[in-house]
Amino acid sequence: MRRPPPRFFVSHQELEGYAFVLPSLLMLFLILGFPMAIAVLNSFTPLWSEVKTFTLENYVKLARDDLFWNALLITFYFVGSTVLLHLVVGLAVAVALNAQIRAHQFLRVMAILPWTVPDVISGLIWRFMYNPTSGIINDLLHKTGITNAYIEWLAHPKLALPSVIFSDVWRGYPFVMIILLAGLQAIPREFYEAARVDGASPLQEFRYITIPLLQRMIIVAVALDTIWQFRRFGLVYNMTLGGPGHATEILSLYIYKQYFKYFNFEYASAMAVVLAIIMLVISLPYVRMMVRRV
Amino acid sequence: MKIRIGILIAYLFLALVCLYNIMPFVWMVFTSFKTDKEAYAIPPTFWPQKPTLEAYIQVLLWTKFPRYFLNSTIISLGTALVSTFVGSLAGYGFSRFIFRGRATLIGLILATQMLPGVLLVGPYFKMLAKLGLYNTYPGLILAFTSITLPFSTWMLKGFIDTVPEELDQAALVDGCTRLGAYFKVILPVIAPGMVATVIFAFLLAWGDLLWVLVLTSGEDMATVTLGLSRLVTQFRIIWPQLMAGSVVGALPPVILYLFLQNYLVEGLTAGAVEK
Amino acid sequence: MNKRLLNLLLVVVMLAVWVPTALAAPPVQEKGQDYIVVADDWLSKLADKYLGNPFDYPAIVEYTNKKHAEDASYAKITNPDLIEVGWKIYIPSAEEAAAIAPAPPPAAVTLVFGDWHLTEPHWEKALKEAFEIFEAKHPNIHIELDYVSYADKETKYTTEIEAGVGPDVFHLHGYSLKSFIEKGYLYDITPFIEAEAGVYGGDFLTPWYPQTLELMQKDGRYYAMPGDFMSMVLFYNKNLFTEAGLDPTKPPTTWDEFVDYAKKLTRDRDGDGQTDTWGFGTVGAIDPGFELRFTPILFSHGGAYLTPDNKCAALNSAEAKEAFKFFVELVTVHGVVPPGVTAQNPGTVRQQMANEQIAMLLGSGWTPPIVDKNNPDLKAFEVLEAAPVPVKAGLKPEFSTTAWISAWMINRNTKHPKEAWELVKFITSKEMEQKWFDDANVLSSRRDVSGGLEAQGVKGYDKLLNDKFAKVIAAELAHAKFVPQLKEWPQIIEAVNAAAQEGFTGAKSPEKALEDAYNRINEILSVYRAAGETCPAF
Repeated sequence: MRRPPPRFFVSHQELEGYAFVLPSLLMLFLILGFPMAIAVLNSFTPLWSEVKTFTLENYVKLARDDLFWNALLITFYFVGSTVLLHLVVGLAVAVALNAQIRAHQFLRVMAILPWTVPDVISGLIWRFMYNPTSGIINDLLHKTGITNAYIEWLAHPKLALPSVIFSDVWRGYPFVMIILLAGLQAIPREFYEAARVDGASPLQEFRYITIPLLQRMIIVAVALDTIWQFRRFGLVYNMTLGGPGHATEILSLYIYKQYFKYFNFEYASAMAVVLAIIMLVISLPYVRMMVRRV
Repeated sequence: MKIRIGILIAYLFLALVCLYNIMPFVWMVFTSFKTDKEAYAIPPTFWPQKPTLEAYIQVLLWTKFPRYFLNSTIISLGTALVSTFVGSLAGYGFSRFIFRGRATLIGLILATQMLPGVLLVGPYFKMLAKLGLYNTYPGLILAFTSITLPFSTWMLKGFIDTVPEELDQAALVDGCTRLGAYFKVILPVIAPGMVATVIFAFLLAWGDLLWVLVLTSGEDMATVTLGLSRLVTQFRIIWPQLMAGSVVGALPPVILYLFLQNYLVEGLTAGAVEK
Repeated sequence: MNKRLLNLLLVVVMLAVWVPTALAAPPVQEKGQDYIVVADDWLSKLADKYLGNPFDYPAIVEYTNKKHAEDASYAKITNPDLIEVGWKIYIPSAEEAAAIAPAPPPAAVTLVFGDWHLTEPHWEKALKEAFEIFEAKHPNIHIELDYVSYADKETKYTTEIEAGVGPDVFHLHGYSLKSFIEKGYLYDITPFIEAEAGVYGGDFLTPWYPQTLELMQKDGRYYAMPGDFMSMVLFYNKNLFTEAGLDPTKPPTTWDEFVDYAKKLTRDRDGDGQTDTWGFGTVGAIDPGFELRFTPILFSHGGAYLTPDNKCAALNSAEAKEAFKFFVELVTVHGVVPPGVTAQNPGTVRQQMANEQIAMLLGSGWTPPIVDKNNPDLKAFEVLEAAPVPVKAGLKPEFSTTAWISAWMINRNTKHPKEAWELVKFITSKEMEQKWFDDANVLSSRRDVSGGLEAQGVKGYDKLLNDKFAKVIAAELAHAKFVPQLKEWPQIIEAVNAAAQEGFTGAKSPEKALEDAYNRINEILSVYRAAGETCPAF
């Protein structure tokens, strides 16, 4: 499709196009635009103030707030490792499912199941599984003789975040897997057969056929996953509430606390604006890629 | 031989993955049949020693859980239908027409996904209160639609892209309007894609906590997720009841998915990938 | 939508019942008469019976008080909601009553009432019963319940009030009260209080503990009425004491003794080689309940959170450092707390108590009934005992514990402030507070219920004063001090909460964790310090 030549009148075709997308745009920009404008304005208003004057103090404060930096760091750690693990596990499961095995239909259904469970419920289940004394995970370790200790999965500063990530992988990899599996199934079998005739090892096949042909799917899956992981809230909220200490305090949770627990609306808004900007910057290449393709 | 080993590894790996995937479900279901005391036992039991329906009876009869269930269903279905319909209109517009600002608008729609919910929920509430939509189904459905719409639009645009334009043209030649062509020709063809977006939006709306927490008040508008998080009160944490509630709360999305999973897979892929 | 329909239906039914009775004009009395109040009488009921209109009750008040001025055998009615059995009152004739302009029948009003107590069945039941009584007394007011969980209440009320809506009357606790007052969310109830009559030889507020009233004010104006008021005390399971060879009649009185006891109580009771019972359970999760469990330990070591002017943290004192270290070491050194302390909230700790996995916890009036609900087989009311919080050996601190306080308040957005006040007044009345104790074992901030007005000749509620738990809790109020009241408090206590978690898990040494919290709190408090004013180094 090519770009329409510059004109000053609106053609009939364009009008029709606008008419079709208008309901969607109206909904999005009315529903999101107003709250966003308020939030941005809020972020430039002094803390706890009745009068609305312009100030940058919230942003200055933010730069000096070590808990904000901590939350940012943990967010990157959380998003980075979950997205990576979703990809690795998702790809591995997709490849395994794509091998000619029996019951792959059934296995695929099983593999996607966790993705359908609400965050609140996943959080609850895992929280109880991780329970040091009455949870199944420690019990399994005890029974298999691996350890005799009550490991405090969610209470240990070094273990809490990995534990949360472990349960997020359970919940999140199926989405990536679905997309990659579809991509794999679209690769013609002849490619592999030809490679095999040439004596390629499975690893080489994977490296020189699978990965290049999947590249586009991988980018899309990773981009969407990244966006969603930045927004994730319910799981951590239900599992640790950010603890122990601030070991699992991702930014969306810290913002929530500043807004609804400490009532620092203006400060919380400033942080949320920063989070939105970070997400925009990170996802810009993805958005541009998508837009360029249309 | 090499291939055989590969397949064997695949089976082993998948068996492990299956265990990882299924274990939490098993734990949830088993716990829901235990007594309070057994759930807190040290060491824990795996099989319920004295299986009881007590937790289900408590949750389903003595709380307003059935009502929450109904609310969740109405809100999630409403969101799914609205965002699918509006999204398909926009998808059609973006797929079939070239107009100025088209790329920018697509970019903007995709970019709305970057706005964190915590940023919006407070002011959004103010807006709803002014409109008198606070604590109503439409208010919540609108909120969720704003979250699901970008992806629904994108998914459906991908679907419509795969439909040959000749189909529209034929309909237009037969005297249909554009809207007529959309309803008569496009909708039936992209039905599988619409089923996929319906599931997607349904799952998202069903699972949300933050918006429901803030945008509803009282018992009569609460949803399943909110009801569950209220069961985890400060005062008593009763795991069997929580897990019984979780089982019930997870059923609709799981069942919906089990029945329609082929559509979902197809839809997610079409939205994400060019065919 | 359904709800609205239901309300409409209710109004219609009420009208349908009321209008015919009103039209049928029951035989109203033609002559006035003296009347002795019997049980279950209230004025609007009498007005309805004798004068044909429940809203004519002010006439009875007026005439009775007029008679009282001449003849003291007539009762003096100061509060129309409160008449007592045996009082002699005068019910005027319908004609006499008409002479006084009768209050026009008030319009039907719906009040929305929000409370986290509604999510717990035994509290919900008690509140619903109370509202039935209220609605009978105020036929024009209907109460609609707004359920909110304990953890979500601030989130919900904040958003709603900011947007100009929200429940008319709601319940909060000390933790966020100050923030709500400072944010201007609450209705100024000072005029209502001033308009009320005095009691016990003082004003309307005389019955309440003065320290609880202090928290309800800002700049001399009242924004809330005190509700529950209870000191934190030590609860222990006497069976586990006996099993471990400890004397159940001698609870620990010093923290050294406490550790000693706790170690003896931490045992493997089923003999499988794994510890399954621990001496002490406490809250280590990020949770509002942390404050109530840590503060007694801080105070009983002689420590404080902030300097008296609230400008700096005071956690750098030797006492505070010692208290914090002691708290952390219960987990890290003595091992008397079950694993996973940083995930424990008050609910799970009580569950451990109910399942005999811990022998001691810090709690208050709400503890026995909830533990009992969790596991009726334990027979919590029998097995549990309450004792004062231990103190540091050799120390006699003025305050050794802290107190839980809750408050009732009116939303600034309410459209029915007068009716809302009626509800607040009702729910904080002596009768309702006594009922609240009967139903929930919770002590009141009213001294005519929980005791403390003996000097004025007013006795507390017998049942409460004789209750084995309430007795201790009431007595310990004398040693209880509130945590600092400022709007930044939730953030400050959460810094301490996080520091405790860092200490428990060994992420930092107790000293380092406390130092970081100290600095963070000073940073939060910097808004209260003039330029150049600094806090001492840790």
